[in-house]
Amino acid sequence: MGDVSDRIGRPTDNGQIGIIDPDCRLIGLHLYDGLFKVIPIDSKGQLKEAFNIRLEELQVLDIKFLYGCSKPTIAVLFQDNRDARHVKTYEVLLKEKDFADGPWVQNNLDNGAGLLIPVPLPLGGVIIIGEQTIVYYNGFVFKAISIQPAITRAYGRVDADGSRYLLSDLTGMLHLLVITHEKDRVTGLKVERLGETSAASTISYLDNAVVYVGSSYGDSQLIKLNLQPDSKGSYVEVLESFVNLGPIVDFCVVDLERQGQGQVVTCSGAFKDGTLRIVRNGIGINEQASAELPGIKGMWSLRASSKDVYDTFLVVTFISETRILAINAEDELEETEIEGFDSDAQTLFCQNVLHDQLIQVTASSLRLVDAISRRQLNEWRAPPGLSINVAAASSSQVLLATGGGHLVYIEIGQRELIEVKHVKLEYEISCLDINPVGEDPDRSYLAVVGMWTDITARIFSLPNLELLTKHSLGGEIIPRSVLFCTFEGIPYLLCALGDGHLFNFILDVNTGQLSDRKKVSLGTQPITLRTFRSKNATHVFAASDRPTVIYSSNRKLLYSNVNLKEVNYMCPFNSASFPDSLAIGKEGELTIGTIDDIQKLHIRTVPLNEHARRIAHQEATRTFAICSAKYIPTVEDMETHFVRLLDDQTFENIASFQLDAYENGCSIISCSFTDDNNVYYCVGTGYAIPEESEPNKGRILVFLVEDGKLQLVAEKETKGAVYNLNAFNGKLLAAINHKIHLYKWTLRDDGTRELQSECGHHGHILALFVQSRGDFIVMGDLMKSISLLIYKPEEGAIEECARDYNANWMSAVEILDDDIYLGAENSFNLFTVRKNSDAATDEERSKLEVVGEYHLGEFVNRFRHGSLVMRLPDSETSQIPTVIFGTVNGVIGVIASLPQEQYMFLHKLQQNLVKVIKGVGGLSHEQWRSFSNERKTVDAKNFLDGDLIESFLDLSRSRMEEISTAMSVPVEELCKRVEELTRLH
Amino acid sequence: MWQMVGRRETGRLPPHKFRALLQKTRLYSIELAGHKEIASAHKSGVNSLQIDATEARYLLSGAADGSVAVYDIEQATAYDHSTRTSKHEALFMVDKRVLNGHLYSVSCVHWYPIDTGIFVTGSFDNFVNVWDTNTTQVELQFNMSKKVYSLSMSTLATTHMLIATGTDDTRIRLCDIASGAFTHTLSGHRDSVWVVQWSTRSEWVLVSGGCDGAIRFWDIRRAGCYQILDQQCSQIGRRPPVLKKSSRTHGREDNLCTKYLNASSPIRQRGQKRSFGISAVDSRTAHYGSVAGLQMTADGLHMISAGTDSRLRLWDVESGCNTLVNYPSTYIRGNKGIQMAVTPDSSLVFTPSLNAILVYDVWSGHSYSSLRGHYDQVNCCAFHPQGQELYTGSNDRKILVWAPRRPIDIDNFDYEDAEQAIKADEDAWSD
Repeated sequence: MGDVSDRIGRPTDNGQIGIIDPDCRLIGLHLYDGLFKVIPIDSKGQLKEAFNIRLEELQVLDIKFLYGCSKPTIAVLFQDNRDARHVKTYEVLLKEKDFADGPWVQNNLDNGAGLLIPVPLPLGGVIIIGEQTIVYYNGFVFKAISIQPAITRAYGRVDADGSRYLLSDLTGMLHLLVITHEKDRVTGLKVERLGETSAASTISYLDNAVVYVGSSYGDSQLIKLNLQPDSKGSYVEVLESFVNLGPIVDFCVVDLERQGQGQVVTCSGAFKDGTLRIVRNGIGINEQASAELPGIKGMWSLRASSKDVYDTFLVVTFISETRILAINAEDELEETEIEGFDSDAQTLFCQNVLHDQLIQVTASSLRLVDAISRRQLNEWRAPPGLSINVAAASSSQVLLATGGGHLVYIEIGQRELIEVKHVKLEYEISCLDINPVGEDPDRSYLAVVGMWTDITARIFSLPNLELLTKHSLGGEIIPRSVLFCTFEGIPYLLCALGDGHLFNFILDVNTGQLSDRKKVSLGTQPITLRTFRSKNATHVFAASDRPTVIYSSNRKLLYSNVNLKEVNYMCPFNSASFPDSLAIGKEGELTIGTIDDIQKLHIRTVPLNEHARRIAHQEATRTFAICSAKYIPTVEDMETHFVRLLDDQTFENIASFQLDAYENGCSIISCSFTDDNNVYYCVGTGYAIPEESEPNKGRILVFLVEDGKLQLVAEKETKGAVYNLNAFNGKLLAAINHKIHLYKWTLRDDGTRELQSECGHHGHILALFVQSRGDFIVMGDLMKSISLLIYKPEEGAIEECARDYNANWMSAVEILDDDIYLGAENSFNLFTVRKNSDAATDEERSKLEVVGEYHLGEFVNRFRHGSLVMRLPDSETSQIPTVIFGTVNGVIGVIASLPQEQYMFLHKLQQNLVKVIKGVGGLSHEQWRSFSNERKTVDAKNFLDGDLIESFLDLSRSRMEEISTAMSVPVEELCKRVEELTRLH
Repeated sequence: MWQMVGRRETGRLPPHKFRALLQKTRLYSIELAGHKEIASAHKSGVNSLQIDATEARYLLSGAADGSVAVYDIEQATAYDHSTRTSKHEALFMVDKRVLNGHLYSVSCVHWYPIDTGIFVTGSFDNFVNVWDTNTTQVELQFNMSKKVYSLSMSTLATTHMLIATGTDDTRIRLCDIASGAFTHTLSGHRDSVWVVQWSTRSEWVLVSGGCDGAIRFWDIRRAGCYQILDQQCSQIGRRPPVLKKSSRTHGREDNLCTKYLNASSPIRQRGQKRSFGISAVDSRTAHYGSVAGLQMTADGLHMISAGTDSRLRLWDVESGCNTLVNYPSTYIRGNKGIQMAVTPDSSLVFTPSLNAILVYDVWSGHSYSSLRGHYDQVNCCAFHPQGQELYTGSNDRKILVWAPRRPIDIDNFDYEDAEQAIKADEDAWSD
């Protein structure tokens, strides 16, 4: 391992190139203009010391190794001073550390040539992909074919002999390129159009005509190439899509369901793959029916017969009665009766069991009921003076606990209940479970019991009720719910406490041994655990004040919030009218709803088929407005721009406003003005005339939403593109090219209104990003970092009070609080600056001091205040302000401003974690997170890596302890602090 | 611009390329800056300018009257609202009134590369002065006993603090700030040395250009110069026949263009020189006439030289080849060196030529523009990499700022401002 970066050198404009010789003799890197770095590989596969070879070609577009050369040979596609493109070959001489002229040269290619494809033996040579021609050349044979003008971005080889390739262009059109040959002699090229996919950035041919298309502008796809075209003439069949949020060019944080939980609506994708994505943390329950039912104490669903696919009955129990609900012919929930059930007592448990029977457990007895006749078949009564407290059953077994610590095991036979075993434990039993986790789905060989007093979870064998394991849970909080379950083939024991904590263990089915204890906190109230199935996988629903779905992915348990405030009871209810639904008992209400796909973030896609650039939400009219561009693929670079109004629930396009030719929507906000009660959408535009480098004309359009229409109320012409708009104390603050303007909303004599400019500020290169707070304006310049401006109402002027003198090229800014401002810059770094209003000298006051620096590794397009999680008013985390960011790669992240004490603690934890957790490939975390751009590299400061810190929870117990000792803080405390952190997102 | 921002947002234009493209477009629109003015503190021609490498904020200037001044080019000392120009006055100026200050013309100024606490000046009064910026006092003096034309400190150096000096003498001497003594004397030039510059690629390599028309490369760890550039040697692009190279005979070695910067070359060079006396190698020239300016590109792979033959030449440093890029003619005369500037991306070179500064494309030699504004001969250029501003000093005593064009806009409310500006102008004229 080593570092291949050079201290001096100009990074290549066209991106870094890294290639490996097909015969594995060396690795070639083109990182700096004019240099080709070689890492030789010896015969044992060891890397040798790297060296540079001078490459005279300056504007290199692509470099590839050729196949079948005795010495490693590269083909270099480059552009000369006169903008002509050529391919040249060089042999790499490892011993002499130099190039020798290669076997051939091909000059004056297509002006759009941008991609080389080396062809493997037996054919050899190279394919040069241009915008209008495709050329094959191997030094002897030259074949060319002209194609429809297209910019090809990705290729994938189909056959090992290299006679067929898949090509994808910017519009997502997939082509097949065939090299026709007679034995080893190339006779020609053929191109065939296959169909449309997402605009590909990589293509991998898997096998059997299945191809993976990776896209950075739309969803990645798994496609199948059919032999016959479909009705539209496309050979492409999409088998599966993989969600990609990138590039997120803008987003807004809204609370559409008004539940106190933010959702992010992003402008994602580019070109034809443009979409809006609604990103929500946790799992959504889509309510389908609900009824007012106060005082629910438990719920179960029952099938009318064991042969039924769907559930028929929903048993709902209250403090002193049990009601049975069923779906009637009108799809309504109606009360019904099961004769054999005791309806005047609270049900503790009921279930379908073997031989088409039902069981019901109440405080006094266990009843066995025939499912068809619904009559009682048998009854087991609790011994006099003892009442049943808890019960659990499998299809053939029932386990009951009564007061006094009696544990009774009963087997279910045909029309009979057989008490098999009875033991008395020393303490009272708080909860138990016998959910089968072994191979037999009808019969469990293990039982788990949670105990009062000694706070233990005990595992017993069935049927003889022998104690196998006793595990002390520690603390004083009793277990309230225990559950056996199997995730991805691994049996687990979950054990929930009365204070919202949950333990999970891996269970050995044969011995009942527990291992790998982990503790998480899910809420603050007692938890009730229930399994349910969705999409053919088992999940566990933990009902509490913070309902959570527990599921497993890659053999790791994950916890995902459900977007409901408080759930007391839940049971799956898969009825004919409400398939795959859950019945949820909340305070005073019964709800039936379906559940979203089980994943941490839920993403909903609204395809637009055009490219959304800016988005704003208006609470008053419950609408979104977007600035979008529609590309017309047939005409080169022709696009039409719109302002579109969308409903914030259905995302239907309600109204559209077409902008002028060449006019682009550059910014949009929803705002109101002083002395006017209406809420408006303000849109800033710029005329992008192709010949002009800088738009010198634009407009500010003010729209009022009336009856679902966009009414243009006022417009104001500007001398440049309106890059940014901000509501500013009842006025409008616009960033227009290199100036900042403040407009006031004035009433004309005829009663109409107009924007009138009040004052401005100039002297910027390009005022791209503007945020305001009170009278302060924070501005991110194209290339001059952050400046702080202040509006002085008395003087009617905007003045600069301070700026950061670093030359950061900005990509986004946000105000964290009165004094601290956050910025993202061009080289994927984040930094914060502080206003020094208390400094002694003018010089210091006029300088924004850089306080935090961090390498994010992502290009941030937008910051917005907000949070994706529900903020509980009582929790500490709700006091921590957070900012969400969206990046080009589709990453959504959260930046939280931590209090000093917490920062210090977590910083120490991070330092200890770095020692324990090694980076991929042994790369140093510290180096990766160092703020680094073309001018400087400095260690990260005042930023913590949340991902790293949260990985603490995935560590094994022994390594946790290692860190715990190093920090002299108990493991439990560490877990608690880290979990608090996870709750921020 | 808006489209480029959009392409960067969607990831179609990688951020570093966005930056490079924008810088390039801005560079091509460079013109006399209307918004920034340096109030030159000098009473005679400005000979040398340099912007500090650490913050790129302080401009150092040296003038023919022996004065040296420092300006803050970021923060203005005054702002004129009517003309919207920021005025930058000297933070301080030192001249012969200061103890040990220069008596005659200051020919070269240089910031200490690590911080702005020290700067170095060289003068025709034969002294090289090392100044403390905070006290504005001379801390150290080197008596070169000849007029000092040029000095240079390596921005890369981590192991030495040497000032290389080119004087009226044929020898180049290296002054060590740490010890206050001369550490090296490099002989080879046969006339005064007008320019010296440290390599931007290796901290050990020094380049010098003399009135004898020669450009010599020195590795200060070894004796003697290891490469002399030859304007006739122009076989760039032709790779040496490598197999022959290893078995080449000593006598065939005069084809230096094909020789690479390997460790043994300086020694072999020396051996050759001894056997031939003044050999053909030694009499090589890079220019007909004196070498007046040298400027390496930021990556150290190329170098541009200017000669009093009014020619600019682009050299491939590693092979020592003249690339034969044809720069349209400049006019360089005079009795001292000039300071050229190359943009960090090596796209443009700025060369003083009489009253103008000529802007050439480095690779094609195409002339982009001629910046006119000085009233007398221009001596020096300094390029501000982040702001893309060019600072030039001339015999007309002025320091001018050249910056990318800013769009002129007159919005409705600006009329008032404009009127005021006109009034202010009137006032100025009536005086």
